[in-house]
Amino acid sequence: MMWRFGLYDPSFDPLWMTHWALAGALLLPIMAGLLGAIFRPSRALPVVLACMPILVAGVLMVIDYQQAGLLRWQWVIGDIEFTLRFSGLSALMLLITQWTAAAVAMYTPGYLRLTYPDLNNRWIWPLMGLLVSALSLIWLAADLLTLYAALEIMGLAAVGMLLLSGKPAALKAGMRYLLLALVGSLAFLLGIALLLSQWGSLNLAVLVELVEQEPITWVAAALMGAGLALKAALFPLHGWLTPVHENAWTPVSALHAALVIKASLYILILLWSILLPETLLAPRLIAWLGMLAIVWGGLVAWRADSLKTLIASSTVGQLGYLMVAFPLLLGPGIAPLPLALAWDGFWLHLMGHALAKAAMFMAAGNLIIATGESSLNALAGTSRRLPLSLLIFGIASVTLMGLPPSAGFTAKWLLLQSMVLTQQWVAVAALMAGTLLTAAYVFRVFRYSFDETAPRHDYQPLAPGMDLIALCLAVAALALGLLAHLPLALLHGGGA
Amino acid sequence: MISSINTMESGLAVCLLVIAIACLFDRHLLRACWLLILFALLMSVAWWYLNAPWLALVEVVLGGVLTGGSFLYALRNLPSQRSPIVRYDHTQVGWSHRITRVLLTVAWSLMLGVAIQFLLPDMALSLTEHPLILAAVVIVSVGMGAFALHRHLLRRLMAFNVLGSGVFLMLAGMADTRPSSQALISVGLVIAWLGSLLGVLLIRRLVEQEGSVALDGEQSSTRLPS
Repeated sequence: MMWRFGLYDPSFDPLWMTHWALAGALLLPIMAGLLGAIFRPSRALPVVLACMPILVAGVLMVIDYQQAGLLRWQWVIGDIEFTLRFSGLSALMLLITQWTAAAVAMYTPGYLRLTYPDLNNRWIWPLMGLLVSALSLIWLAADLLTLYAALEIMGLAAVGMLLLSGKPAALKAGMRYLLLALVGSLAFLLGIALLLSQWGSLNLAVLVELVEQEPITWVAAALMGAGLALKAALFPLHGWLTPVHENAWTPVSALHAALVIKASLYILILLWSILLPETLLAPRLIAWLGMLAIVWGGLVAWRADSLKTLIASSTVGQLGYLMVAFPLLLGPGIAPLPLALAWDGFWLHLMGHALAKAAMFMAAGNLIIATGESSLNALAGTSRRLPLSLLIFGIASVTLMGLPPSAGFTAKWLLLQSMVLTQQWVAVAALMAGTLLTAAYVFRVFRYSFDETAPRHDYQPLAPGMDLIALCLAVAALALGLLAHLPLALLHGGGA
Repeated sequence: MISSINTMESGLAVCLLVIAIACLFDRHLLRACWLLILFALLMSVAWWYLNAPWLALVEVVLGGVLTGGSFLYALRNLPSQRSPIVRYDHTQVGWSHRITRVLLTVAWSLMLGVAIQFLLPDMALSLTEHPLILAAVVIVSVGMGAFALHRHLLRRLMAFNVLGSGVFLMLAGMADTRPSSQALISVGLVIAWLGSLLGVLLIRRLVEQEGSVALDGEQSSTRLPS
């Protein structure tokens, strides 16, 4: 399992160009964010230009990884060791982060111009830059100190972004999120403290060698798990998610649901596979909660009145699919084949969901801007007047439902295959039920939109490119299913 | 075992504990703020005692001056506000709420106790072997309880700060003040300050828009016209 996270000795040192690419991937987003705060771009073109070097840095790193295998950086500053590792998984997550964030950044100027033409909105850019830098650092971090610092920076930047809309409801939801996230991070820190005092190291690769199964490890894993589950909005701790998304700006919601939540989940699976390899109970518990999440999230989304509540609840349900895969990844006595299938399915689902959810939030944001209302009733008649926005919503929901040929389908297929091989029939049933529920709430949106008797509204025209960017993301989620061998090859490259 | 009790360490532990509890359960918000600052200064004495002078300096600057200053700033009157900001928490919580929170806190303390017992077996023989760790465990338990119990946003933020200090002290007590744990604590202090600052700015925004009622947390928010 551990080679999958790149926790082994690399065969080559990074090339000199890779150092520059790393510096670019980590620092350029912050610098671009500061530039954004100074110049406040109102068109997409300057944003595209600012995103270019960041994307190039990411692609360069991936090319170097393909040539040299695992890359590792280690610095010692005053007896404190910092370690970064660039494995196949990091490569994939970095690419998804950079491209999704770039799409969101390009969408932002048009959105702000249409919704808040006279608001002072310079803060969104540095926060977005900081968020992307912190996310990139999380995918690369290989010691607990870096991981903790990056997780906290990401969390604070995310809270800051969610507050930007400034409505009292947003402030209250944000305050609740802030308090919960801060306490969650203290639980995480307490877990780190237990590990440090028992094993004397913060380096993940060293911990893999040292950690033994004893009560202190379990308590540490439980503390970290609770803190991260709270931040990742895993099922019983998801209460803060819907109010936060309902009141935030659309690009912020898109970024948050697509990437920020996933980062906590990534850290959770990384740490648990170090601390709790081959355990029965904890992953099983997560899986049972995941099944409840699938049903609960689906039902709440099905009953939702507003578009954003629907999408936020659907996130809770979709995270359930990932939770159900926990026993396959961490459980005892899983044969290599189902383990490999579940591993591929897990990350493919995570990436597909990131792209599709960002696209869905943008499409919903476009519909809300055009109709001027956020309730489902307001969608009446949109099928004739706003076919493109609705089409994007549809393509994104194809991935969420898991219909072929989307990434959701391929991922679910892999997960189902793994579950059948290990004879986890309840999980199979939960996956099926989730698909039906997703179809139910998605088609409910379409039923409203095809209401032909609705009176004609005057719809606000959208800025050019707003639909196009969302369409690109939705199609990317679809194409990820057809071209799944490309990301999976990168994911398997860690063994080379 | 009596002879091994260190007067200095025990006195520090008792002071930390008393001030933490006073800060957590004082309904007078301004006084609680000053108690929090005093708590941070005592924490820095504790760091000094644990041979971490740099951490003591960081604690004074970040914990005492910056975080404490943020809280005092939160209680300053707004220039645009007609009525002065309410500096007393009048919120009443129901008995069922209190009992569930106390039970949760007991469960939380038990888990911590079990972990400590495995980590430091000599604590099991004599509780007073490490008074600072004992104080830290109690602060963490009480802080978590207060965080869950209170409804007032500023008090919850303060409870988070006290809880954080308890966690840092536990970290230092269990893992020594080696460079990596000092780095972890420093990062934690920076995050606690930034989080408090963000929370305080948010609270002032809320008060500006809805008056001091908005601070009473989730219960009152349902009564307000949105």
